[in-house]
Amino acid sequence: MTPFSKTPDGTLVVGFSAAESDIVADLAAQIAGMLAPLASAPGSDPLYDLVGIGGRSSIDADPAIARLLPDAYGDDSEAASDFRALTERSLASRKVANARVVIATLERGGADVELNPAEAQSWLRTLSDIRLTIAARLGIESDGDEGATDSDAAVALHDLYDWLAFVTESLLDALED
Amino acid sequence: MPKTLESTELHEQTVLDSPWVTLVWNDPVNLMSYVSYVFRSYFGFSRDEADRRMLQVHNDGRAVVATGSREEMERHVEAMHDFGLWATLQKADA
Repeated sequence: MTPFSKTPDGTLVVGFSAAESDIVADLAAQIAGMLAPLASAPGSDPLYDLVGIGGRSSIDADPAIARLLPDAYGDDSEAASDFRALTERSLASRKVANARVVIATLERGGADVELNPAEAQSWLRTLSDIRLTIAARLGIESDGDEGATDSDAAVALHDLYDWLAFVTESLLDALED
Repeated sequence: MPKTLESTELHEQTVLDSPWVTLVWNDPVNLMSYVSYVFRSYFGFSRDEADRRMLQVHNDGRAVVATGSREEMERHVEAMHDFGLWATLQKADA
């Protein structure tokens, strides 16, 4: 990877190997795939769909989804349910849209991937969503947790998690350059 | 004169409404630099202010990042969830 840099017109440029590009696109596709069913429920009222309401009222049993779509009220479960029913689907839709921007920008790029400022914002959010999902899978729940390291797959996931932190830092540095 | 009366009522309403707060909670995943960036880019905090609140999240487990009406705080919480930060709203005196 050649770290992110910013051109004079504000374009963010990063160089990924083909393998790196495939990995990021695949992870973004997994986020989109995981959240797409929550973004629009089949058979729902199209009018409710239009304004993004008519969603579920309780937090997901999957810890990764629960972390990406958390309760908005920590001390009032009824308010949390009501707010979720009104907003969860639009939140999931925005996350799916961000992940699809990441995929589209990777598919568009040749050796270098170029992002306009809006696309860079989608990247930041999706990188966070991907790392939150990996952390949930590894069981990283509080500061200092190492998470699972008991298999080759878990170790590989750790490496990916750390590398995505590096990608995020690199994008933040370039944005603030 | 009715105008004066109206504005007095409005003022009382604002004073009597107990304010709401947006809290951001610590998580082991999001980078400190990212949290600080979100606070600056979304709330418009200076670097010092954003870093101060980010460190408060990190050290105390949570920080208040906004105070205002319930509707405003709901918007902020949704925006934080967009960024992947763990945020909630509650009454300020809760």
